[in-house]
Amino acid sequence: MFKQRTLQKIKDLILQTLTVAFSSLSLITLSIIVIFVFQTGAPLLNLDLITYDYTSNTYISEPILEDGVIEFCDCDPTITLEETSFYSRKWGVALGDDLDVLGKGVVTITYLHSESPLRSLKNKGIGPETFSLLPEYYIRRIAFYGSPSALDIYGAETVVSMLDSQDNFRELEVITKGGGIRGSIITTLWLILLTLVIAIPIGVSAAIYLNEYASPNRSIVRYLRQFIELLTGVPSIIYGLMGLAFFAPFIANITEATGPSILSGAMTLAVIVLPVIIRTTEESLKVVPLEYRQASFALGASKTQTVFKAVLPSALPGIISATLLSIGRIVGESAALIFAIGIIIKDEISIFGQSTSLAVHIYSMMTDEPANIELSATISLIILIIVLTLNILIKLLTNRMLKKLHPGGII
Amino acid sequence: MTKKPLSIKQILYSNQTRWLVDHGFFAFFLFATLLSSSFIFIVVGVIFQRGITPFVTDNFGLGSVNLWSFLTGDVYLTGDTFYSSQYQIGYLIVSTLYNAILALLLAFPIGVATALFIAKIAPKWLANLLRTVVEILSSIPSIVFGLFGAVLILDQVYFFTESLGFQSRAGLSVLSTVLLLTMMILPTITAISEVAIRSVDSSIEQGALALGATPTQKNFKVVLASAKSGIFSSAILGVGRALGEATAVSLVSGSRFSGYSFNIFDTTATLTSRMLEGMKETQGVDYSIRFSIGLVLMVVILITNFGLNFVKRKIGRVNV
Repeated sequence: MFKQRTLQKIKDLILQTLTVAFSSLSLITLSIIVIFVFQTGAPLLNLDLITYDYTSNTYISEPILEDGVIEFCDCDPTITLEETSFYSRKWGVALGDDLDVLGKGVVTITYLHSESPLRSLKNKGIGPETFSLLPEYYIRRIAFYGSPSALDIYGAETVVSMLDSQDNFRELEVITKGGGIRGSIITTLWLILLTLVIAIPIGVSAAIYLNEYASPNRSIVRYLRQFIELLTGVPSIIYGLMGLAFFAPFIANITEATGPSILSGAMTLAVIVLPVIIRTTEESLKVVPLEYRQASFALGASKTQTVFKAVLPSALPGIISATLLSIGRIVGESAALIFAIGIIIKDEISIFGQSTSLAVHIYSMMTDEPANIELSATISLIILIIVLTLNILIKLLTNRMLKKLHPGGII
Repeated sequence: MTKKPLSIKQILYSNQTRWLVDHGFFAFFLFATLLSSSFIFIVVGVIFQRGITPFVTDNFGLGSVNLWSFLTGDVYLTGDTFYSSQYQIGYLIVSTLYNAILALLLAFPIGVATALFIAKIAPKWLANLLRTVVEILSSIPSIVFGLFGAVLILDQVYFFTESLGFQSRAGLSVLSTVLLLTMMILPTITAISEVAIRSVDSSIEQGALALGATPTQKNFKVVLASAKSGIFSSAILGVGRALGEATAVSLVSGSRFSGYSFNIFDTTATLTSRMLEGMKETQGVDYSIRFSIGLVLMVVILITNFGLNFVKRKIGRVNV
C-alpha cells in the first residue's frame, strides 16, 4: 500500500515536470524568434530604409569644359559644415563618410556650393545629356587623367584631397541611394486597400444574408455555409495557383495588365480573407439582441432600414476586427502572392504590374544568391510589429464588445 | 361595399421605391453569399482543369505524362532541361506525409501538455501569459518562420549533424523541416486542445477526485480522456497546416530532386516546395505540372482529413 503511494507520487511528479517543461517550450520558441528578428533586423531599421528605392542607379558623368578649362568655385561654404565632412574649396563640395541602408561604408555628398562646377555635368550614359549632382548621391569613383582613381573605399578625406590635387577629371561615378523597401511598402498598402474594397462588401453582405435573411434550418443554407467554411482548409499556395490561372488572365483581359498584377493578387487575397470576414461578422451579428430588430420593425422600418440602422451599427466592432484580422493575413501572406503577383522587386508601382509585398520581398531576397539576411530580418521586424499591433487592437476591441454585452463583467 | 383590409406586406410596400430597395438589397446579399460559396468550386475547378492537361495532351511534343509513374516514381526531371515528360512525384507525396507526421508526433504531446497546463494547472496570470504567447506565435507569418529557420535552425542542425560525423547540405534536411513545422503547428494544436480541455464538465473531475485520484491522475486520465474528441480535432488541423505549408518549408528543405529517403539528416522536399521551384516558366509542362502537383496536394490533404476523422470517430465512441 505504502509502496504504491510512493510510486504514484513519483509518477505524478514526473508528469507534472513534463507538463511544465513542455509548456515553457512555446514561450522559449517565441522568445528565440523575437530576439533573433530584433537582433538581426534592428540595426538596419531606420527611416531611410522605408523611403528609399530598392534598386540603386549608377550615373557616370564628366565635367563640362568652357574653353578647355573648368571654372572652379574657390568659394567658402555658406553654411557651417559638420566636423566629419571634408570640404574642397576648389570644387565647392563637401564629402562625408556614411553607411548605406545595408550597413556598407560609402562616401556621401554632404554639401554642394551653388557655384560648384559639379552642379552641371555631362552625362556619359543613357538619358538626358546634362546631369546635376545632388546631395543625396553616393560617390563611388572619380577617375583622373594620368593618376590613380579616387575610390569610395579610401574614405571621404582621401577622396577630397585627391580631388583637390587635380585640375580635371575623366569620369565621376555616383550611385543613388538604394536597398530601400519603399516599393514593397506601397505594394502592401495597395494590396490591403484593394483586397478590403473587394472582400469587405461581399463578406459583410454574405454574413448579413446568412444571419438576417436565410432560415437556418434549410439544408441549402447549411450547404452554402459549409462551402464557405471549406475555403479555410485550402492551403494558401493553392489559392496562389488559382490566382495565377484564373484572376491573372481575367485582369489581363479587361485591363492594360499583361500578366499577373497587384489587382489579381488582391482578388486572390480577397478569396483568402473572405471566410474570416464572413465568420467574424456573423458572430458579431449573432450577439445583436433580437429586441433591436423587433423595435425597429415596430417603428415601421423596412427590412433594409432595420439591417443598416439597427443591426449593423451594433455589429461594427465585429466588422472592424474582421478588417484587422484580414490586414494581418494580407501583410503576412507569401505563398499565394508568389504565384498571384510574382517575385520581382520593383520601385515603380502600378496596380496593373508586378511587384512584391513585404513578405514576398523577404522570399525574393532569401531565394537570391547570396541571401540578404539582414534586410530580410528588418522587414520581418516590420511585419512582426504590424501583426502584433493588430493583435493588440483586436484584443482591445473584443474586450470592449464583451464588456458592452455583459456590463456586469461576467468575463 | 366594404374595403378588404390591407395586409402588413401591402402597407410596408405601398411605397414602390421601398419595395425596390428592400428587394434590391436582398438580391445583393444573396448574390454575395452565392459568390462566396462558389469560390471553393472555382478553386477546385481551375486546379483540376489545369492539372490534368499534362496527362491528356502531348505537351508540345514531349509526350504525355504517365499518371501512374507520376504518382509512384521517384525521379523528377524538369521538361525544359531534360526534354522529357518524366515528372514523378511519388517520393514527394511520401516525404510530405513523412515530414508532417514527424512534426505532428513532436508537436502533439507538447501542445496537449501545454493546453492542459494552461487550462487546468497554471495560476491565472501564468495561464493568461501563456495564452497570449500561443496567440502571438500563431499569428507570426510563415515567411518569418522561414527566415528564422533558414538562418538559425539550419545553422544549429548543421553543427549538430557535423558533431555526429554526418555532412549535411548546410543543414537543409528533414530534421530542420520537421523542427520548423513543429513550431508552426504547435500554437494551432495548443489553442484548440485548450478550448476542448476547458470545456470538460467539472462534475466529471470532481467525481474522479472523490474516487481518490490524485490531481495529476485526474488531469491525465479523466480530463484528457473527456476532451479526446476536441484534442484529436486539433491534431487534424495541425496536420492540415503542416501539409499545406509552403514558403517556410521551401527555405529549409533542400529541394530534393529524386529518391525516397527517410534519413532525417538527408535533404528533403515537399509537394509545396516543389511547386515553388523555378518560378520563371509561364507556359509549357513545367508550368502546368504545378497545377497537377497542387491537385495531388489537395487530394493528399483530403484523404488525410478523412482518415483522421475516421479514427476520431472510432476512438471518440468510448467517450466518458
